[in-house]
Amino acid sequence: MSGSSLLEFIQQAINGLTLGSIYALIAIGYTMVYGIIGMINFAHGEIYMIGAYVGLLVITVLGLFGVDSISLILLATLAVSILVTGSYGWTVERLAYRPLRGSPRLVPLISAIGVSIFLQNYVQLGQGARDVSMQPVLTGGWRFGPEDGFQVYLSYMQVLIAAVTVVSMTVLTLFISRSRMGRACRACSQDRAMANLLGIDTDRVIALTFVLGAALAAVAGVLVSMYYGLVNPFIGFIAGLKAFTAAVLGGIGSIPGAMLGGVVLGLAESFASAYLRTEYKDVVAFALLIGVLLVRPSGLLGRPDVEKV
Amino acid sequence: MNTFSRNVLSAAVGAVVLVLGGVAHAADTVKIAVAGPITGPVAQYGDMQMSGAKMAVEQINAKGGVNGKMLEAVLIDDVCEPKQAVAVANQIVNDKIKYVVGHLCSGSTQPASKLYEEEGILMITPAATNPAITQQGYRMVFRTIGTDDQQGPTAGRYIATQIKPKKLAILHDKQQYGEGIAKEVDKTVKAAGIQPVLFEGISKGQTDFSALITKMKKDEVDFVYYGGYHPELGLLLRQSREQGFDTKYMGPEGVGNKDISAIAGPASEGLLVTLPADFSTDPANANLVKAFKDKGQDPTGPFVMPSYSAVRIIADAIQGAKTEDPVKLAEYIHKNSFQTPIGNVAFKDNGDLKEFEFVIFEWHADATKTPVK
Repeated sequence: MSGSSLLEFIQQAINGLTLGSIYALIAIGYTMVYGIIGMINFAHGEIYMIGAYVGLLVITVLGLFGVDSISLILLATLAVSILVTGSYGWTVERLAYRPLRGSPRLVPLISAIGVSIFLQNYVQLGQGARDVSMQPVLTGGWRFGPEDGFQVYLSYMQVLIAAVTVVSMTVLTLFISRSRMGRACRACSQDRAMANLLGIDTDRVIALTFVLGAALAAVAGVLVSMYYGLVNPFIGFIAGLKAFTAAVLGGIGSIPGAMLGGVVLGLAESFASAYLRTEYKDVVAFALLIGVLLVRPSGLLGRPDVEKV
Repeated sequence: MNTFSRNVLSAAVGAVVLVLGGVAHAADTVKIAVAGPITGPVAQYGDMQMSGAKMAVEQINAKGGVNGKMLEAVLIDDVCEPKQAVAVANQIVNDKIKYVVGHLCSGSTQPASKLYEEEGILMITPAATNPAITQQGYRMVFRTIGTDDQQGPTAGRYIATQIKPKKLAILHDKQQYGEGIAKEVDKTVKAAGIQPVLFEGISKGQTDFSALITKMKKDEVDFVYYGGYHPELGLLLRQSREQGFDTKYMGPEGVGNKDISAIAGPASEGLLVTLPADFSTDPANANLVKAFKDKGQDPTGPFVMPSYSAVRIIADAIQGAKTEDPVKLAEYIHKNSFQTPIGNVAFKDNGDLKEFEFVIFEWHADATKTPVK
């Protein structure tokens, strides 16, 4: 491998990791909900879209007030977006899923698709169906490599995305493994009926799961607003589909699996685009999914599901 | 039946008769459906189409309408989705509207045109440029804009003779419009002896192009042609500059609107765009331009004047042929020429304009444009 091919490889890996971080953040929402109530929340992509809208709005408002400190913008935007998006997550669960608890699996699934359509149209009516764009808040980056040849470019924004993702994931992991509520979450995911019998308020745990998932989707939404600067009411669909794929790839129900799945998917897309043709990036991503599921039906890190009688 | 219910019944019948009377009265207008994207990612172009058509309707009505009847523009949203376009076409058929100005995107115009041809509805698109639309042997389908086999070669020749890139990349969005025009450019530059190093399709709605940009940077691409619309190109431009890939880009009229600068910011400076000649600079249109500006509308968009002209042609045909039968009007339009803001136009047998010119503009970061040649 010559010098410049190596540099290109590194650049593509950076591209893939950035994309994968975003997928991973959204994928967590799918996987957590599935892990606890065994349902695919198809409205999750729309929750992410709302997070992106709120992010863009807050950044624009802060810009109007002349706030230009990146850390302040990031913290304020994340806080507001997590708050708003989290409450959407909670409301959706309360209104569309909780009344259907105990009904056959297909029913909440249909309800989820309904919520997804509703939210898409709701934002479309409220914000307009057009693209809303914003100029980048954080520009610049580091360049490595020969002056006159191919240079690897690592933007501050990409580092920020990776850093925020790692921090969010760490906080989530600590929360799940150390806190009292986290233990309740794990108990519910193992056996909800038993957890309930032992005095855990399972409805609260489920609501919390939705809020946590929505909060991470909000983080992804804010990062996407800052990185790409373009949102419209339809971005949730593709992002949701990709993140769902990432969750299944990593093993649905497993949190580390969702992280790994997101990164693997991002890298696969990036390398397919680089070394094959751009048209093939989705083909490769989904072929990878099928391949993994054939060999490991429960995903990369998923545990085989034992049918309980 | 007692008296009370009889009274109620007769009142109800009376009400129905009144309503019907109202409908019959409304039917006295000549309805023209204006079908295009009112919502969705490319709704900006729909605005151009709608404002042009509405202005024409207003001005014609202000002068007494056609044959004593007022025109009425019925705006219908197809979101530039092929599926939605067919639903819209069915709605137009069911509503017995006989004339359509639209659709806007080639992908939605093509399936809709089939219905119009079958149902004998006159269709003039002010914006769809894919050549296939007029290659179906239809008699009811016209357009007041050029085609990609004019636009593509204009761009291709400019690339081959003026830019002379060593390593040309051609990208498209895999849609009927974008890919069609990219293929035309590809054909033209190949004929001039330039072999593109890359010909690839991205996805509609894609936001991350970093992998593709890295590849082009690695291949030392020194000129990029993009066939498609502005949302994707805007991000492509912005991410290219961000990665330090400073190559010049060129695109078709689908990228030439203000939003490209809103999305790409400074990165949109120097973008080359093939657009219909700017009819708003034609002195003959000075009054019309003023009318648009008085209403706070922008007459410089590429589809405003073609859309105005489409309505004008329908009205003139109704007046000239002294009929409202769309099939007879189509024959009349085929045989005659019309004075419109886009010039004195006549149509070829397939419904294309006999003459239409695309001009190359250089786009600026403040969303203005200047002609290159």
